[in-house]
Amino acid sequence: MRFFFPDSQDQVDPMFDFVTEEHPVHRIRQRDDRYAHEVLQHRPFDGLLISKSIVDGHGARTSARYTAGARNRLYRERARRFFRLDEVHRDVLIMGDCGAFTYFNEEEPPYSVAEVLDFYEYCGLDWGVAPDHIVFGFVRDGDPIPDEMISEWERRLDITLNNARLFLDEVSRRNCDIVPIGVAHGWSADSYAQSVSDLQDLGYVKIAMGGMVPLRSNDIVSSLEASSGVRKPETELHLLGITRVDEMRRFAQHGVTSFDSTSPFRQAFKDDTDNYYTLDSTYVAIKVPQVDGNASLKRQIKAGKVDQRAAILAERSCLEGLRAYDAGELPVEQALQRVLDYEDLVGVKKTREAEYLRTLSARPWKDCGCGICEEAGIEVIMFRGSERNKRRGFHNLAVFRDRISRNGFHSLQTTGEHT
Amino acid sequence: MTVSDQAVELRLPALAITQSPGRVLYQFAVDGKLLDDFATVSRIRRDDESAVQGYQRPESLQHITAIRKYIESDAPMIPNGIVIAFDDRVRFEPSVKSDTYSVPGEIVIPVDVSEAPELRPGWIVDGQQRTAAIRDANVSQFPIPVTAFITANEEEQREQFILVNSTKPLPRSLIYELIPGTTGMLPPSLARRKISAELLDLLNWDSESPFHWRIQTPTNPEGVIKDNSILRMLDNSIIEGYLYNFRDPVDGTGDLEAMATVVNDYWTAVSLVFPGDWNSTPRKSRLVHGAGIVAMGFLMDAMCDRLRDENRLNVDGFLAEVSLIADSCAWSSGEWELASGTKRKWNDFQNTSKDIQILANHVLAAYRNSRRTR
Ligand SMILES: [Zn+2]
Repeated sequence: MRFFFPDSQDQVDPMFDFVTEEHPVHRIRQRDDRYAHEVLQHRPFDGLLISKSIVDGHGARTSARYTAGARNRLYRERARRFFRLDEVHRDVLIMGDCGAFTYFNEEEPPYSVAEVLDFYEYCGLDWGVAPDHIVFGFVRDGDPIPDEMISEWERRLDITLNNARLFLDEVSRRNCDIVPIGVAHGWSADSYAQSVSDLQDLGYVKIAMGGMVPLRSNDIVSSLEASSGVRKPETELHLLGITRVDEMRRFAQHGVTSFDSTSPFRQAFKDDTDNYYTLDSTYVAIKVPQVDGNASLKRQIKAGKVDQRAAILAERSCLEGLRAYDAGELPVEQALQRVLDYEDLVGVKKTREAEYLRTLSARPWKDCGCGICEEAGIEVIMFRGSERNKRRGFHNLAVFRDRISRNGFHSLQTTGEHT
Repeated sequence: MTVSDQAVELRLPALAITQSPGRVLYQFAVDGKLLDDFATVSRIRRDDESAVQGYQRPESLQHITAIRKYIESDAPMIPNGIVIAFDDRVRFEPSVKSDTYSVPGEIVIPVDVSEAPELRPGWIVDGQQRTAAIRDANVSQFPIPVTAFITANEEEQREQFILVNSTKPLPRSLIYELIPGTTGMLPPSLARRKISAELLDLLNWDSESPFHWRIQTPTNPEGVIKDNSILRMLDNSIIEGYLYNFRDPVDGTGDLEAMATVVNDYWTAVSLVFPGDWNSTPRKSRLVHGAGIVAMGFLMDAMCDRLRDENRLNVDGFLAEVSLIADSCAWSSGEWELASGTKRKWNDFQNTSKDIQILANHVLAAYRNSRRTR
């Protein structure tokens, strides 16, 4: 089972100073910063997924996360060198797609097949996904079929299938050595199976299952089951955007050999409670917003409702308290109290006292050997600014990788990093 | 001075300067760490009836940090003083009798730190960030000059506040032209740009450079290429391109000579391939316009990588490469035939990042394609 990590240009600055909250004056983003595979003890993924929409953006929606300069360099150096996977991590597979979720609202995919293949070629990718259009909706066996939706769903399936055909033609016309992947979409188990069958007829041996993010695990399994009826033995399936580690065994039984997801990373700073992973549990991170970076606090200071000086002092006392606790110089209750005092001043809707106490008492970062926690200590558990949040995200990736192997999938490539 | 319920008086040597009839300024030095004890920036706020009681501006933490680091550096000097408006609890006691405009004496400031900040006698009219930086700095003391005036009249205080705070910031171009001659600490945002500003300077002054006297700066108004376009082009390469290789990641300095050599070699080739377009003005030629300069800068980086590998990183090497795209360019007449199948009139590129990217994509694609078919 291969795990692909979707790139969103997330890195950490190894020189960031947690106490002064400063980067080196002359730091250059990305080039001086480090990716997850450069700071973790073990590489947390088998592959990277690069989306055209993240690199190039499209239309009025600028989903692009790349500056013009970074984009040009990506094309110039190609992905392997750009992501610094050209020396010790050469076995990492790099896969490209269009980022269909960024344009699902639009009539049609914003990129032509030729443009997409240009992108894959510029980046020098190993695997390339044909441009697809997501079908949003799923009908279970026996449920009523919403007739008004069917024509739109069929239209999107047609676009996807037609693109898949054109994409294969273009790949062979250009004679590229990229491995083409077709995307199966559907609005029911049977229509997914039909897509798989159609793509196989076109000649695809790698098929990505798209649009499954909102589906329940059972619906995913039923679709995979239906597809098993038509799937050729050599066909390999990839699940786009699916994390569910506990289900991986069931998925694998139906031909799934790879998947991708950002959720272990994003939960670190998007989720309400499950911010910090351990092998068997999750913890909430301690919110210590920056006086200078918290929008609502800034508004209150501007309005004269909160004294800026008092806020700065409370923030400092909170940070110092947490560090003192980590060093064994302050009892947990006192460190927690400082957090709660600051919480009071910032004005939160609901206190997290109990969850914070659980996190602080357990000190999960103390026993973690991911490569981040040893360096960052208690800073990794603070919900505060991207340097800490992304470190926690990287830590989660490391734990996620361990969860996958614990589930019996030992095929994760763990060798090669230190050779 | 320690916290005490007891009000004390702070006496400091001062000079009273009569500037115009009835308008007296007091100049003195005080340890910046004490400023908070008798002056405030937040005195002005909404009162219980929600009427505006003055004006408050939150501290800019980034700015404060920059000043603080400077104060913590080896030999800091801040010549411009803090301006404080005192109410009439503060008084001046002359030490000599004099009828000149300048009289030495002592300024006497009542200090009671147990009082609420808004009741303190002084209001910092100018120097809020410096005051905060001194307060936060890891130094035991930092004397700072103060210019003060005494008035019971709050309108007068506000008037000064507005006057002081409505001066125009320096134009960016002037700042960039001043940077290369500046030693010592610069604020981070400027420190990061120092290297490109220095490089620009070098290009403009070097008689061997195709940019010789052609970059417009405050002291070289005859230049035709905007300094800002050059800075963007150089910054792009220092950050994402070939010039990054000549940068010292620790202190952010760079091998300027080596950088200038590459830049000059490339643009010499550009000027030889497009002589008419190069020796023109931005209005008549998009090559020397911001869009052309920045887009062609990206092409420089693309060519450098290849030429270095082939050991041809010199004017001749660039000349051969730039010639490859000559037919795909319409700098000063005709139309650009873009890959998407669309056409654009020669001058239909503005100095926006979107247009620059379209133009950059075009020249980069032209370069890539010509390499492919060669
Ligand atoms: Zn960890």
